[in-house]
Amino acid sequence: MDELEKRVVDLIAEVLVDVNKENIQLDSKIVEDLGAESLDIYDMIALLEDEFGMEITDEEVEKIQTVQDVADFIRAHQQAS
Amino acid sequence: MGMVTCLGSGVKSNWEAVTSGYSGIAKISLFDASGFATQIAGEVSDGFDPKGYIPLKELRRLDRCQQFALVAAGECIEHAGLECPPANPYRHGIIVGSGIGGLATIERGVEVLQQKGPRRAPPLMITMAVINLCPGLIAIRYGFKGHNTGVVNACASGTSAIGEAFRLVSEGRLDVVLAGGTEAVVTPLSVAGFGAVRALSTRNDDPSKASRPFDAERDGFVLAEGAGMLLLESFDHARSRGARIHAEIVGYGATDDAFHMVMPDSTGDGAYWAIRLAMEEAAIDPSVIGYINAHGTSTDLNDKIETLAIKRLLGKDAYRVPISSTKSMTGHLIGAAGAVEAIYSVMTIKEGIIPPTINLENHDPECDLDYTPNKAVQKKVEVAISNSFAFGGQNACLVFKGVS
Repeated sequence: MDELEKRVVDLIAEVLVDVNKENIQLDSKIVEDLGAESLDIYDMIALLEDEFGMEITDEEVEKIQTVQDVADFIRAHQQAS
Repeated sequence: MGMVTCLGSGVKSNWEAVTSGYSGIAKISLFDASGFATQIAGEVSDGFDPKGYIPLKELRRLDRCQQFALVAAGECIEHAGLECPPANPYRHGIIVGSGIGGLATIERGVEVLQQKGPRRAPPLMITMAVINLCPGLIAIRYGFKGHNTGVVNACASGTSAIGEAFRLVSEGRLDVVLAGGTEAVVTPLSVAGFGAVRALSTRNDDPSKASRPFDAERDGFVLAEGAGMLLLESFDHARSRGARIHAEIVGYGATDDAFHMVMPDSTGDGAYWAIRLAMEEAAIDPSVIGYINAHGTSTDLNDKIETLAIKRLLGKDAYRVPISSTKSMTGHLIGAAGAVEAIYSVMTIKEGIIPPTINLENHDPECDLDYTPNKAVQKKVEVAISNSFAFGGQNACLVFKGVS
């Protein structure tokens, strides 16, 4: 895991405190594997937007499934800007 | 019963403090109040540990008033020994009062909105702000699926919630109702707002002396926070599960002054009628009242007018009945006040100790009853009443009776 991916995992762990951080893998599916529900997702979006200074639209959120997807999305956003 | 106040977490520690005459009032630490006319409050700090009752994940998604409500409800249900979720969930309800709800959340939300724009509004702001989530969250936790509502009656919210719950049980609509109040408004906006109508004490240099109900030198109430919850149960239901019964609620009176937004009716008529209606429902002669837990806010008008109302109800007998304002120690918990004071009233009956009104040092000729000054008094009490009067003119009174 690189720096960015670690930051993403930390952030997800902050929201999903019931989930053991070691169990958050890059290929973990956020809803199916980690058990996030709708409020968790909104909470995560707000934290990610704050942390990485960007906006994630609802359409973009729907495309994100795994922890890796989140990291990739942020990387793409950082390269674009 | 369960409670959280500036005097401590739990009924036991509260009762010890309140019968020992401790003040829980101190300098405000929740925000920088240095520019405010009032810089003191009754904050919940020592011993408040929500983790025993609230999973970590939920903690950051709950306003402080919701945390207080859940912790007080947790203690209440534990002590009641009630099995949850109940087998008959639709016969179990919840009524929780609050004056303002998640005000701190709203204040932070406005800040974020102004600094970062609408896209960044905190996603859980609404669920943290609304009052009905207080009873809603307790329902989720304990599986009570019957009547569930939030009561909003400013400083009378707690008493109103218990009174309405009493109605539901006594009319046979529900077997069990968890009822009480919660409040967490030691916030910049609230301290500034109550200060703007000159309701708050500004005795900043001597916090423990600031809440002084019925004293000639009183200069306003002291804002405080916390929660109180009681489990109301029909007699048959309590007996069938072998519950410990602390006391019986036998009367509830509710009126409105229809007079002024913040001032009580100067004749005390509305307050008098609330108490009288409660006594009539209880079918108890006022001469039997052994203790009055007064609203006693430490504002000039309330204490004077409450005294008037008690005198009108009891006549010469008014001088005989011990009265006290536990707000002298807890401060004014707004929507939770009536709930914690209901618990103190029940404890008075159970323990035979009348908590004092502390800081009662200077005689006010218009407040000349027995307010149990400064020191608790041992006395067997069979019937106690608890008064609450609100901005908005809402008056509420509960009558408690011992069980033999």
